[in-house]
Amino acid sequence: MNAVYAPAEDDVVARELHGEFIIIPISSGVGDLEDEIFSLNETGKAVWDKLDGKKKLEEVISELTVEFEGSAEEIRNDVTGLVEELLKRKIIVEN
Amino acid sequence: MSDSYIKSGKLPEFPLWNKMRENRNVISFDLELTARCNNNCRHCYINLPANDNEAGRKELTFDKIKEIADEAVALGAFWCLITGGEPLLRNDFEDIYIALKKKGLFLSVFTNAVPVKEKHIELFKKYPPRDIEISVYGVTKETYEKVTRISGSFEKFIRGVNLLLNSGVKVRFKAMALRSNVHELPEIAEFCRKNTKDYFRFDPQLHLRFDGNLKRNEEIKSERLSPEEIVLLEKSDTERFQSLEKDCDRLINPQFCNINCNHLFHCGAGNGSFNVSYDGYFRLCSSLWHPDCIYDLKTGSLTEAWKYFVPKVRSMTSGRREFLEKCRKCPVINLCMWCPAHSYLETGKLDEPVDVFCKTAHARAETLNKAF
Repeated sequence: MNAVYAPAEDDVVARELHGEFIIIPISSGVGDLEDEIFSLNETGKAVWDKLDGKKKLEEVISELTVEFEGSAEEIRNDVTGLVEELLKRKIIVEN
Repeated sequence: MSDSYIKSGKLPEFPLWNKMRENRNVISFDLELTARCNNNCRHCYINLPANDNEAGRKELTFDKIKEIADEAVALGAFWCLITGGEPLLRNDFEDIYIALKKKGLFLSVFTNAVPVKEKHIELFKKYPPRDIEISVYGVTKETYEKVTRISGSFEKFIRGVNLLLNSGVKVRFKAMALRSNVHELPEIAEFCRKNTKDYFRFDPQLHLRFDGNLKRNEEIKSERLSPEEIVLLEKSDTERFQSLEKDCDRLINPQFCNINCNHLFHCGAGNGSFNVSYDGYFRLCSSLWHPDCIYDLKTGSLTEAWKYFVPKVRSMTSGRREFLEKCRKCPVINLCMWCPAHSYLETGKLDEPVDVFCKTAHARAETLNKAF
């Protein structure tokens, strides 16, 4: 939980369009690069915004626990699950 | 559980796609990086010599291209076609390509493959394009160089094609069916289909030059196939002909005879896409060069062009009876190369019927066995 994560800035571009938050792979090895994009919902976007390369994951979880309804355990599971997913897809990197 | 926070797929699978198409949003644009080309193809509508300094001076700067791309992305653009001329001739091609990628644009590149070098392969491997489309003018030295008029170009073309194919980058092929290469078209098609899993397309219809160069226009006309030859070619290409047959009801519509609209533009130009010329002119499509239909991005903004200039152009009408009776009400207009842009290139007017297009459209219709 002391790990720090950030968007893989050289490999993905994030854009907000018509109220939708999308992530576009630009480098080899991220997504299938045949027009594949990723979309984060509002909660996913809130997590993304906090993965700034400075905050530890524990701090991200603490802040989200204050901002969102739900038990701390539930939010912890959601955040770590999403972070694992983003890491697996190489959309974020560990600093 | 977090999977519900993130979804992946192609853009048309997202609700965003419908929102983009609901209104007149920018979806894609073509960027002509240069009019210069290493080849000197007999049929080309744009090419200027590779060492044409004046053409080079007119080219948009890297900074201006980034500015235009920024505006395009802000307006919603997702796809950008990098074309020319031969875009790889730009010394700053790599910088432009990376800058566009880093704006989140899906990129396609049109090239003749002759100038492809290892550095381009490295670039495309690191930042893969959506696809690279290669023009194939012949598959023998004799035919290829008859079209390109550059000695030694065939060997470099084959080298460039092999570099791209071996890199694993997605490659597509296209060919122009010309008087100079029509005898080799079956072999060209075979070469293209053998070397890509993707579609191969050929275009048998040539339009005239953007710069109106009279001598070059005569060369283009001399490369045109007759309507009968075009129809025969299309019929011999099973895939293409089946596609025409499938769309027959849309392509041939007797109801068009009842149309009483005098608007010039019935195509999709400017509805979701636009084109930027190498020297900074915005057009609704690449062929639309009438002075009333171009907007100078060197002195104005893309946003203004898109929001105010495009609707103005699309609202243009015609009072020319011959056009209104012959073209606007024509049931086979969708089989015809006629459009205001091509009309202007052929006749200097946006609303003049073009005999050669008309004959080809009717020959196509006849082949499709439709009464009209």
